[in-house]
This record gives sequence, structure tokens and C-alpha cells, in this order.
Amino acid sequence: MSAARLEAFLAKIYVDENSRERFMADPRGEAAKAGLGEREIEALEKIDRAGLILTARSLHQKRRRMTGKRTKKQG
Amino acid sequence: MKFKSAGKNTIRDRVGLGWRRELAVGILSHLDRIDVVEVIADDLFDAPRDERRALRTLAAQTTVVLHGVSLGMASSVPVDAKLLEKTARLCEEVEPEYWSEHLAFVRGGGVEIGHLTAPPRTDATIEGAAANLERARAVVGAAPLVENIATLIDPPGSDYDEIDWINRIIDSSPGDLLLDLHNLHANATNFGYDAAEFLKRLPSERIAAAHLAGGKWVEALGERRLLDDHLHDVPDAVYQLLTELAAIVPNPLTVILERDGAYPPIETLLRQLDCAREALAEGRSRQFERMEKEAA
Repeated sequence: MSAARLEAFLAKIYVDENSRERFMADPRGEAAKAGLGEREIEALEKIDRAGLILTARSLHQKRRRMTGKRTKKQG
Repeated sequence: MKFKSAGKNTIRDRVGLGWRRELAVGILSHLDRIDVVEVIADDLFDAPRDERRALRTLAAQTTVVLHGVSLGMASSVPVDAKLLEKTARLCEEVEPEYWSEHLAFVRGGGVEIGHLTAPPRTDATIEGAAANLERARAVVGAAPLVENIATLIDPPGSDYDEIDWINRIIDSSPGDLLLDLHNLHANATNFGYDAAEFLKRLPSERIAAAHLAGGKWVEALGERRLLDDHLHDVPDAVYQLLTELAAIVPNPLTVILERDGAYPPIETLLRQLDCAREALAEGRSRQFERMEKEAA
């Protein structure tokens, strides 16, 4: 169950800017609020911040390109 | 469902192109230089009847394979049953030689990420992927080839490095590997490992296909990473990996060039297919020489 919670939490911070900003300001607090276990919280405290920003930016651009279009893949 | 038999021990390496509407005319007028066409399955789930009929016509003229992008196989959460049913219906209709999907998660907790994302590399996602691939095999009638994905982030909460995680999934799953060489190149570049060594640690007899693509550099917080964007030409490093791959894989390979935009003239893409053929030939030659030496 914790694995699914972690995936849900990652999905949220990857695509939702407000959630991401709250998380970046207080990783432990936000992860705990999401019901994640201590192990996941510690992992999220050490998150690859540059990777998070680049992932979010890339997903945002891909989602924008996808709007109203099909046949795009990347990955 | 029915799949056209690949005749694994008789076919030779083949090189093809991803089907995109913008490339349709170029592809259809150069089928003599394109061995295989890879179609994005998700584009056709809700496509008009005419478009699906056109795909059947294409499949009658050349080898067609289907590529899924939205199932999210590498998740601790079961794959969406409706999407799996749609995949099954499409495979039934098109009879592709094979179908493929990604070792990615694409949704979580009701949030659609909208693209392929690397999950935490843990026992939970290994077991989840194995269960999802088995579900897919049962519903569709054949297991998909599974593709490694590119990631800009080192997935948080991971217990395994990428190679061990992929090998564990392959080991516990029915499908073989579709190795995306640009994804491998990008991840190796971004996270500091040797792509050629990574190749050597994969089970070579389980690699059935490869993807080629290009990308660009992106930057945040002073760190530069390589983004797999499918908008640029295939770099030399990826052709070199294709040679390395052909030197170790015993089975025939299907190699697909993916291009998703900033489309150059079709001749440019056809030249990249020719470069792929040259890279394959070089690798096969090395493998043959090695086998001859071993036999002597």
C-alpha cells in the first residue's frame, strides 16, 4: 500500500506546481501528510532536486504539446 | 488473438520507422527502404473506422508492430483493465508481429502524469510489473516486449539500480526486451554509468528489438542533463551502442527510429535508417568473427 502511496505522491509533485512548491519547501512535512512511511520520507528528503525540476518541466511541455494532438511518445 | 509469426531463427535484422501522420506520405512512398512500421497503439484506440482500416491496409503491405504508451506496466498498481481491453481489440484487428509497452508508471492516486515516468526501483514495482505483464499476456494473448525508459530524475525511494531492476523484471516476466538505446544513452550520461557495460549485463538472448532517437541538453540548478525528446537526429553514440548490441545479441533485431516532431525531409530519416543498417552490419560482423575464433 505504501508503494502505491509513494507513486501517487510522485505523480502529484511531478504534475502539480503548487504541490511541488509545498513539497520543495517542506519535504518531510508534505510526505508525512500524504501518509508515507519513514523510509519513503527519508528518500524524499534526499530527492534529486534538479531532476525533479527538469522532470516537471519536461512533463509540462509534453502535456502542452499533447493537448489536442495524438501521436507523441518520448520516453 | 493472432500474431504473425516472426520465424525467430530465419529472419534477419530489420530497420523501420515509427508511424506518424506527418510522415505518412514519406513512409508509404518508401516502403522499399523501410522494413517495419511501428504504430502507436494508443492513437488508434478511439480512431475513426477509416483510420483503423488504413492501418490494416498498411499491415497488408509491410510488417506492422504496435507500441503502447499509456498502460503503465511498471507500477505497484494493477494496469487499467479498460486500456488493456482496447489493446487486445486493436491487436486482434491489426495482427501485429508483436506489441510493446514501457517499464514506466503513468498515473498514481487518480493523477494522470500524461507521460512515461520512472517508478521507484523496488521489489514492489518489480512484482507489480511482473503481475501487470502477466495480466497483459492473458488479456491480449501475447506478452508485450518491454521497453526501458529515459528519466531526468533518479527515482526517489529506489532500492535497485536500473540494470538490476530491469533484469529482475525480465527474469520474472514473459516478454522480451525492447531496448531503447537513446534512453540508455541518456540515463547513462545523466547518472554516470557506462552504457556499453550496461548492455553487457542484460540477458542478450532476451533482447528482441531496439529503438533509436535523439535528444537535447536541458539544465536546472546548474546541472545539465540529456533529455530524450525524439525531436533531434540520432547521435553517433547511439549508433555505436547499436553496433555493440548487434555484436552480442544472438537473435535477429527489429530496430525502429522514433521521431515525434521537427520533422526533417523523409530522405534524412531514411539516411538514419541506412546508418542503423551499417551499425548493425558492423556488430554482426564482430559477432561472426568472435564465433569463428571460438570455433577455431
